[in-house]
Amino acid sequence: MDLIEYALAGVVLLVTFWPLIARRIRAAVNGYSFQSWTLAALCLATFLQSGRWHLLAMALSTVVVKALLIPEVLRRQVRETVYDRRETRYYVGVPSALLLGAGLSVAGFVAARQLPLVRDLLGEPVLGVAIAVVLLGFFIAVARRDAAMQLTGLLVAENGLLLLGLVLGAGLPMLVDFALFLDVLVGAVVMGFLVARMHATVGSTDTSELTRLRG
Amino acid sequence: MSQTLILLLLAVPLVAAAVSWLARPPVVLYAVAAVAQVVVLALALTLLAQVVGGAEPHAFGHWLALDHLGGVVLLIVATVGLTSSVYSIGYLHHELTERAVRGEELRRYFALLHLFLFTMLLSALAGNLGLLWTAIAGTTIASAPLVDFYGSREPLEAAWKYIVLTTAGSMVALVGYLVLYQAGVHVLGISYDFSFSALSAVAPRLPAAAAVTAFLLVLVGFGAKAGLAPMHTWLPDAHSQAPSPICALLSGVELNCAMLGILRAFALTAPAAGAERLRLALLAFGVLSMLVAVVFLVSQQDFKRLLAYSSIEQMGLVAVGVGTGVPLAVFGAMLQMVNHAFGKSLMFFATGNLLLRFRTRAIGSVTGLVRDMPATAILLVPGVLALAGAPPFNVFVSEFAIVSGAAAAHQLAPALIVAALLVVGFLALVWPFNRMAFGAAPGGAGGHRATVNPMALLPAYLSLTVVVGLGFWVPSPLQALLSGAARTLTP
Repeated sequence: MDLIEYALAGVVLLVTFWPLIARRIRAAVNGYSFQSWTLAALCLATFLQSGRWHLLAMALSTVVVKALLIPEVLRRQVRETVYDRRETRYYVGVPSALLLGAGLSVAGFVAARQLPLVRDLLGEPVLGVAIAVVLLGFFIAVARRDAAMQLTGLLVAENGLLLLGLVLGAGLPMLVDFALFLDVLVGAVVMGFLVARMHATVGSTDTSELTRLRG
Repeated sequence: MSQTLILLLLAVPLVAAAVSWLARPPVVLYAVAAVAQVVVLALALTLLAQVVGGAEPHAFGHWLALDHLGGVVLLIVATVGLTSSVYSIGYLHHELTERAVRGEELRRYFALLHLFLFTMLLSALAGNLGLLWTAIAGTTIASAPLVDFYGSREPLEAAWKYIVLTTAGSMVALVGYLVLYQAGVHVLGISYDFSFSALSAVAPRLPAAAAVTAFLLVLVGFGAKAGLAPMHTWLPDAHSQAPSPICALLSGVELNCAMLGILRAFALTAPAAGAERLRLALLAFGVLSMLVAVVFLVSQQDFKRLLAYSSIEQMGLVAVGVGTGVPLAVFGAMLQMVNHAFGKSLMFFATGNLLLRFRTRAIGSVTGLVRDMPATAILLVPGVLALAGAPPFNVFVSEFAIVSGAAAAHQLAPALIVAALLVVGFLALVWPFNRMAFGAAPGGAGGHRATVNPMALLPAYLSLTVVVGLGFWVPSPLQALLSGAARTLTP
């Protein structure tokens, strides 16, 4: 049984590299959506193994909120503006992004070894994946100049948090999980709204042009 | 009984938000804003009286609970929430008559204002770390569109930096809370409800390494949201670009909610991790914040940014106060949270009136207020003296408690550094406002007095009354509340 879960966790980590090197926002959002489907599958696998119903609820809400709703919201809010545009200027090129991404993944696994873990559903390797995905998500958010890409980076990091919650806090009350889901959904909507406003006001979503405020 | 009060307290802003979203006439929006916050304040004071009386009001098991520490924040949200709501009426009505704001924008403003207040009330009342995190992260989401309210390029830039950096910070804090949950698993078993009461009962038995990790992650994560340096870079932008009543809430209230997230983690991890190590981290971030803030205060040309950097200084001071671990200084830090909330909101109200008249935030372009806008100048002069920490005003009392508490406990290094930074900060804050108030009137054209909406003056004068009053006398129920909160932070 462990094998399936480790394989799925491995896919979650690998898929993170999709938005990391994607040059089109459409591709980055698709990568995020695919990662969310994989996460949902992982939740489902842990449900089948443990029979805890709240994991099934988590799998379902991951599909609804993260795999379908948020990508759809992003597509709608940034459609016709930035969605299909190719990001032409970026801080980190593909080869160095891959290299740094690999380094961050290793850092995730090293960090996971430091934490005393009472194993519940998932073991230390998945903890490593979770920390790596959070780090990679933050990396996407800081390495990109485009606001929509930064938003995608934060969403990827949040997927890492969900996985982290699954490893560290599988016993958390379900209400907490749903409160977090609500936060993510509303946060993504508000940020998508700001991205659309940015395109309307500034004429682009390149955040390196947002430099009016200093001192 | 207390369960009903808590639920009512949280329901009022939600209902107010819904009504504001649907209402057309501005008068309805104004009435709802004022009435809802008066009701919230009344309910909050009733609950606080119970807390001071030794009860622990809670609802839904321990999902919602009010203790002394949460009580301090609840007091701030309820009181400054009321003054800011009333000030919003005066400020936005002026904008409406000047056609700077349209009717639908007004509805959106008030609906979001109530939601923002709801998330902050929930932060104070959450009895569970998961809920607390959701509420604190929610404050950003509700307020980011308000920072972007004016919709031009600079507010948009500020709102984007604000939401990206504080959301990232909140995520780091969530990792910290999850590590704390896992630490609890070692003692309480796989599944428990993550309430403060469950965790604090076993706090000394948590694994020390996990407790330290959890606290540091929360400190860095919510430190970004509480404006602690070096994660503060979004703060001067957001706290200067938002409409003034929102600035008052962001600086005076929201920062305290993020600080609450840090202090809760501190209280739960300190017994296992060793309070001394955690305090050192608080001291380091606190002193660095004060230092960075003072440097930027000295060279500031924009009076709203000046106030924003002052917030970083004051939050740093709160961290230092708690970081000394001396009971008197920790008490001073709690009092400082309250005093800063009133002092800073007063200053944002007063400068908001300037902004409506002069339409500039440049310190050099505003002068001669004593003759030009006497009603606002009367607020500005004692307000800035109070905020900067001059006796006999309230901030002086709490700053004195922090510095003298640290000195009396032979923590001379923090006491001296903080005292020096406070003196420089004092001059950097008082000098520009002094010029704005007493400099020559613009163009020498006397007799052209500006009219200010009474609703934009009333809440400011209320705040001024509190700022002066708390300088002379801290009422005994407030003392009990603050010392109760300080006790949970000095294990």
